[in-house]
Amino acid sequence: MSFAALAAISIGLAGCGNKTDESTTSSPGASGSTKSGGAKSRPEPTAPTVTASGDTIKIGIVASMTGDNKPWGEDSYEGAKLAVEEFNAAGGLNGKKVELLLEDSGSKQDQAKTAAEKLMSEGVIGIVGEVSSGNTIQIAKSAFEKNIPVVAVGATRTDLTDVGANVFRVCYTDDFQGPVMAKFAYEKLGLRKMAVMTDNNLPYSQGLSASFKTMFTKLGGEIVAEGFYESGGKQASEYSGKLTEIKAKNPDGMFLSGYFTEVGPIAQQARAADLNVPLLGGDGWDSDAILTSGGKAILGNFFCNHYNNADNRPQVADFLKKWTSSHGGSEPNTTMGALGYDAAALTLDALKRATGADSKALTAAIADTEGFKGVSGDITLKGKNGNPPKRAIIVEVTEKGPKGWQKFAKDYTPDQLGM
Amino acid sequence: MVAGLELFTLPQQLVNGLLLGSIYALIALGYTMVYGVLKLINFAHGEVFMLGAYAALFASWALGYGPGGHAGQSSILNLAIMLLASMSFCALVGVVIERFAYRPLRNQPRIASLITAIGLSLLLQYGGQIFLLNGVPQSISGNVNPFPGQVSISLRGADKVALAKAEELKPAMIQTQADLEAQLKNEKSRFDLSPKGEALEKKAQEAKRSYDNLIDVANAKTVGINIGYGKIIMFVAVLGLMGILTYLVMFTKRGRAMRAVSHDFSASALMGINVDSIITFTFILGSSLAGAGAMMLATFQSGTKIDPFFGMAYGVKAFVAAVLGGIGNIPGAVLGGLLMGVAENLVDWAGFSNYRDAIAFVILIVVLLFRPGGLLGSAKVEKV
Repeated sequence: MSFAALAAISIGLAGCGNKTDESTTSSPGASGSTKSGGAKSRPEPTAPTVTASGDTIKIGIVASMTGDNKPWGEDSYEGAKLAVEEFNAAGGLNGKKVELLLEDSGSKQDQAKTAAEKLMSEGVIGIVGEVSSGNTIQIAKSAFEKNIPVVAVGATRTDLTDVGANVFRVCYTDDFQGPVMAKFAYEKLGLRKMAVMTDNNLPYSQGLSASFKTMFTKLGGEIVAEGFYESGGKQASEYSGKLTEIKAKNPDGMFLSGYFTEVGPIAQQARAADLNVPLLGGDGWDSDAILTSGGKAILGNFFCNHYNNADNRPQVADFLKKWTSSHGGSEPNTTMGALGYDAAALTLDALKRATGADSKALTAAIADTEGFKGVSGDITLKGKNGNPPKRAIIVEVTEKGPKGWQKFAKDYTPDQLGM
Repeated sequence: MVAGLELFTLPQQLVNGLLLGSIYALIALGYTMVYGVLKLINFAHGEVFMLGAYAALFASWALGYGPGGHAGQSSILNLAIMLLASMSFCALVGVVIERFAYRPLRNQPRIASLITAIGLSLLLQYGGQIFLLNGVPQSISGNVNPFPGQVSISLRGADKVALAKAEELKPAMIQTQADLEAQLKNEKSRFDLSPKGEALEKKAQEAKRSYDNLIDVANAKTVGINIGYGKIIMFVAVLGLMGILTYLVMFTKRGRAMRAVSHDFSASALMGINVDSIITFTFILGSSLAGAGAMMLATFQSGTKIDPFFGMAYGVKAFVAAVLGGIGNIPGAVLGGLLMGVAENLVDWAGFSNYRDAIAFVILIVVLLFRPGGLLGSAKVEKV
């Protein structure tokens, strides 16, 4: 009975999918070359457009300035600030300056929603942020109702951009990041039996674990054990019980899809439980705080990142010069500095091309972005439903040295994964 | 998917449970003693525990193990300093809380103190977000622990035949590895190999896999226990502290006074006991135990995340442990704590790591249904 119902539903869904395909084939944007940028259409916001008023054009940024994600939030804000300063120094929009309004999300989803609403009540025509998927989903939903474009900084959860046609990002998605790590683990490290640990408090972690598992099994590997935990103060950071069970399954590698705050202790406790296998993870590892919380146990392991300070792209050198001169000579600690810069710079670039200084024109201009030269890579949003195809870089965690603590290992482009 | 129960990890899980449970027990003692004397659930106790972890963290920074610090080999002395810092700071916090939050309300309806306790707990959590390093999670450097090694006890060894078979493969594995290493010198990067390097890499990986697979087969039925030296120190220290507490409560004049106050508040005042000073003493004892627990957990459970909400998870579990053992009953708190730790690890063992935190509340509900007074407590009929 229930099977029949399911089948009926899936037939219905397939029908819908076909219909959308037909309606969009005529539009030039629906090229469908990437998996995530396929031909499905996203809901259009219907609220009236918001026009910039006053002497300045207001752009808002929601950042995790306190709480767990502070290292990322601060960097994303500093990066965005740099882009806005540069834009204003170059004359702004026909002499009109852009004002960047900051609201703190406290690394919490409910607070992110309030922050976005506060920004919109202050008259912003576009929002930049956030670094985490859970927070960005809240911002995107609020902004959808008000017809304000959102450019996410480091939110990689794949279905995030399905919220509406006003949502974009400058980073890759977990549907890409997970398979990249699976391919690397299988082909380069020669691993066949992986264990996976997922943070059930993070939509990001759940999505990343799922895409990793799918690709790893598709390649011929096996997921031998799974563990779950919850971050966010609900749970004690005690993982020895789970790790004992995982060790009993003899994995030859372990994928940790959570954030650095939990990955560090897990790495140390894994070594204490005599689980001495390579550890892999996503961009959630990206903070040098992991070196303290992970100690010696985290060294020599690999994670997927968006860019690397040692990249030889001219944009990276240029960005680092600007960053270091305004930060007393130190380079950004996390990748969110570059992504924050890219998100803001892309918004401002679109503002220049927009037909008017209002939110609807800005959304259209952002959606039209093609080959934007970002610090973290070239960004094309045209026809990609808000998800730019981007390169992923796998780095090795090393001791902190003059060249940072992330040693370049290998990079993958979407083409290499057939996406 | 229901995982099959693997008996051979059970000993390790029981040990894990006892170690974790000993920390729950230390915190539970604070809940139970304050309840015994004041009939008040001190909901801010978890936050005292959190502040103790911060005190230990700052003490470790002062000793040179801060971020960027490169202090050398640690020693027992460093640990003792951190323990003392954490215990004395928590004792101070406990006294201040009692003096300024609970004492003014002592003759008011009990619900007033209870609400105050909850308010205080929230105040400390969210105040910490602002005043304790902006609420950014911290952790104590692993270098503070002077004994990073571990003891391995083997209860049943590896399968000798399979092990011998694996050893036969070892030379081949080492050889392919050496070939690859030699080739790597001519390569740009380990992850960007020439066809020749790639072939060698493949060979090395295959040899290693077949060796590892045989080792796994050999180890499939081994039963062993791993305990870090740090955890052993922790467990011994917990037992020591409990011994001291028992002595203080059972064999000193102050302890007798404490028991008298817990038995009958106003009668003991009539007998010339200074009730205020006894209550302060109770808070000092309970809070310093929480401080000791926090310091040892944050030091020996390497990488433990310390943030202003650190006390929440442990506080709730320890409270349940205190109720489980019978709130107001000191041996009950210890028993409850140990049971709680073991129960949580058994949930992991059974393959339901998703539900690990639910077990505390399942136990709480069951205990309240069938033995409202707790395992060692006795349900008293209140006169109305």
